[in-house]
Amino acid sequence: VTDYISAYSASGNLFIPRMFQGFPEIKEALMSNKMQAAFMVAPMAIALRAQGVPVKIVYLGHRYGSAVVVRTDGPIRSPAGLRGKTIAIPSRFSNERLVVIKVLKDFKIDPSEVKLVEMAPPDVAGALNAGAIDAFSMGEPFPSQAEMGGFGRVLFHAKEYWPDYTSCVLVVRQDAIDERGDAIQVLVDGIARSGLWLEEGQSNREHAADFVGRFYFNQDPKLLRWALTKPLDRVKYTPLTPYKKDFDFIVDMMVETDVLDERIEFLEYVDPQFAEGAKRETAWKYEPGSQRAE
Amino acid sequence: MTRGRKIAAGIAAWIIAITGLHFAWNVNWSVILNDRLPLDKRKLNVAYIPVT
Repeated sequence: VTDYISAYSASGNLFIPRMFQGFPEIKEALMSNKMQAAFMVAPMAIALRAQGVPVKIVYLGHRYGSAVVVRTDGPIRSPAGLRGKTIAIPSRFSNERLVVIKVLKDFKIDPSEVKLVEMAPPDVAGALNAGAIDAFSMGEPFPSQAEMGGFGRVLFHAKEYWPDYTSCVLVVRQDAIDERGDAIQVLVDGIARSGLWLEEGQSNREHAADFVGRFYFNQDPKLLRWALTKPLDRVKYTPLTPYKKDFDFIVDMMVETDVLDERIEFLEYVDPQFAEGAKRETAWKYEPGSQRAE
Repeated sequence: MTRGRKIAAGIAAWIIAITGLHFAWNVNWSVILNDRLPLDKRKLNVAYIPVT
């Protein structure tokens, strides 16, 4: 959204968005400096920093927007029904995995009683439809894809068990922060403005679904419309500031579930200066279809 | 031109045409040219995945 709208703004394009199909590939591209910034699942970013990779989280991509989906015609009617089942997750370093483990524990189920399998996000809906998995925990629009296809049903949205749930974060290489801080601020400001613009109402979300589906995600805009509007708070785009309490919880869960050896301090993996700089931003003034954005 | 030379010329023309179309359609030249610029002049590459 930021790339599309900012192309019509005074600053123009400062970025080249590059689509990937899986988080491991994004991680490698970031580590090798092929990518200077990336959207990735928060625990993966924290783990990278803990391993000494010079990157920092500077902003969130969204809030909410993940769900556990089961087969419509299947037997699972509550989280308790997940016992003994196979659940697809995007990565072992993902909040989609952590929320499954949290909910299992809430329902007194030992996480070892379910089989978690890593799967590229675009593959999960097909796998559920084919019966290769019993459920998946994934970000939008894949829960919507299963719902629209009629074979999947949302068992629960992550936000129901994890208030202020976050998933994808914007991660930037430290050398880009040091040498291109001005450009990073423009990017974060643009994301903040896009978030506020998206929260202005359904018509902006529908328009975003159209251009994101066509020009960025290569997905049916109807699918993205579903994901962005059923209901409107299915995915939220404010506030996108990374808060310490949210990340402390993620780090604690990572340690508890053995994907992080020891706690890492918030400011070791988050650089809050850009979020702070974006706090006074206002929504894009952009009319859908216009060639001008301010 | 002998028959053999005609066939060779045809194959060469086919390879050149296919290669040209590949470079035109499948190579993102703006990305390649951008990656050759120094960091302070480069557009930043931002990776994303088609998922929220």
